[in-house]
Amino acid sequence: MVSINYSAREVCCKIVYYGPGLSGKTTNLQYVHTKVPSTTRGELISLATEADRTLYFDFLPINIGTINGFQAKFQLYTVPGQVYYNATRKLVLRGVDGVVFVADSQPDKMDENIEALANLIDNLKEYGYDVNELPLVIQYNKRDLPNIMTTEEMDQKLNTYNFPTFEASATVGTGVFDTLKLIIKLVLEKAKNSQGSSKSSKPAEEAPASPASPEPAVPQAPAAPEPAAQVAVPPAAEPGPDEPLADPAVQPLGNDPYAAPPAASQVQGQPTAAVSTADIPVTSATDDRIPAYRPYPGAKQADPSAGGDAEMDERPYPGMNQSEKTLTNNDSATDESAAMENSGSITPRMAPSLKRREQKKRSFFKKLFGIK
Amino acid sequence: MSDSNLIIYEEEINQIEALISKMLKGAEAKCALLVDKDGHLITRLGFTHSLDTTALAALLAGSFASTKEIARLVGEPEFSVLFHQGKKDHIHMSIVGDRSILVVIFDDRTTIGMVRLYAKETATGLSKIFVEITEKSASGRKSAVEGDFVERAQEKLDDIFQD
Repeated sequence: MVSINYSAREVCCKIVYYGPGLSGKTTNLQYVHTKVPSTTRGELISLATEADRTLYFDFLPINIGTINGFQAKFQLYTVPGQVYYNATRKLVLRGVDGVVFVADSQPDKMDENIEALANLIDNLKEYGYDVNELPLVIQYNKRDLPNIMTTEEMDQKLNTYNFPTFEASATVGTGVFDTLKLIIKLVLEKAKNSQGSSKSSKPAEEAPASPASPEPAVPQAPAAPEPAAQVAVPPAAEPGPDEPLADPAVQPLGNDPYAAPPAASQVQGQPTAAVSTADIPVTSATDDRIPAYRPYPGAKQADPSAGGDAEMDERPYPGMNQSEKTLTNNDSATDESAAMENSGSITPRMAPSLKRREQKKRSFFKKLFGIK
Repeated sequence: MSDSNLIIYEEEINQIEALISKMLKGAEAKCALLVDKDGHLITRLGFTHSLDTTALAALLAGSFASTKEIARLVGEPEFSVLFHQGKKDHIHMSIVGDRSILVVIFDDRTTIGMVRLYAKETATGLSKIFVEITEKSASGRKSAVEGDFVERAQEKLDDIFQD
């Protein structure tokens, strides 16, 4: 089902590429991944075997940008095509909004196509989907191969439900985007219509709410201020002097894998009405409600562009302050043999001045710890 | 199932985030994600700037789904709590209601017991909110996908998807 989040201001849909083994589902995603600008897509994640056969699923998030104030996000999944992976295929179908059935155009693969389509329909029915209602596009893939069936033949054998079809060659990219564009269009139209139909069954009071605020339809529970008050603790008390980073490191919903700007959210307490404007002021509604987390002492100042593990390297325990840490490091110097070994290994490469410094340092520590 | 979209308004997200914030503070955890079982990220709080939360949400939902199948094979309806232990960071996942997963990432500054305690309490609060959201979504809420949304999306797609 389409997930619409008014706080993050995003609409999120799930599209699954289904089909028999080796029909080109993963290749479709790989083509999209290579051709779409990196600002539009996230990383392609493949849970595959060593032989590059999909084991669980491939996953590619796409963010096509802001439309009417909402970011439109699509999550593209593939399923493992091999027959014996039906359990995992079914799991991936959970909550699907649209399906692309990738069929292999070679004549000897037709039986597998028919079997996979029947399997798809079975699995969808188990989740309670009506196959005639769910957006579904069939892609006749591998059209670049010499020995293939005609689309008429394939239609006759495969397309008994009269789904829209596309010819494609995923390795070179022909038809890949056309298929994706159509399925996205069908998914959005379905979302629009299903919402429209459910709205029409509502009382008339819903109608005037559509151009203005959605809030009248949502009677706010009186409980709302209470949990908000519970977390409104100023963060100043908690961090110690050795923990200079406070809330900057804490980001509620603002950092996407996409380079697109973070979702615009509104100031807390304001109505969530301004749906139609794309230029909603980007204000973090939740900043003041973030509790006083203790950031990692070793963490650098929050830098979204920084690599993932940069701040994770040295994380002393919270009770350990800097002087204790230094002392811990110096403890090893009390072990003379270790110190000698250490200096022995680095001396040959040392400049004379560094060597003197090293000797000075060593004598200082010897003095400090009373070593003769 | 496919007919009702999940529509969450800002006030509900605020309520959800307030509960999760309280949990993060109490359990001294690093960050928390609330993930739909379909793999959509609902919200995230805490120290998440270095995480690819979109991918994480999809993988965690997949992990939970496969564990559910394992549970079924051993005769359980589902495992309500999942725990991954790492060298530095650990992940605690617990079910919220019937369609969401609360994911808490924490390290050795706290304990699994603390996280579990707070996560359980938070999950109870969150599931109440989700019951309301599901009811309201099913009874027809104002959707963002309306008007010329589809047409404008098509224009964007034409710009982006060029061979």
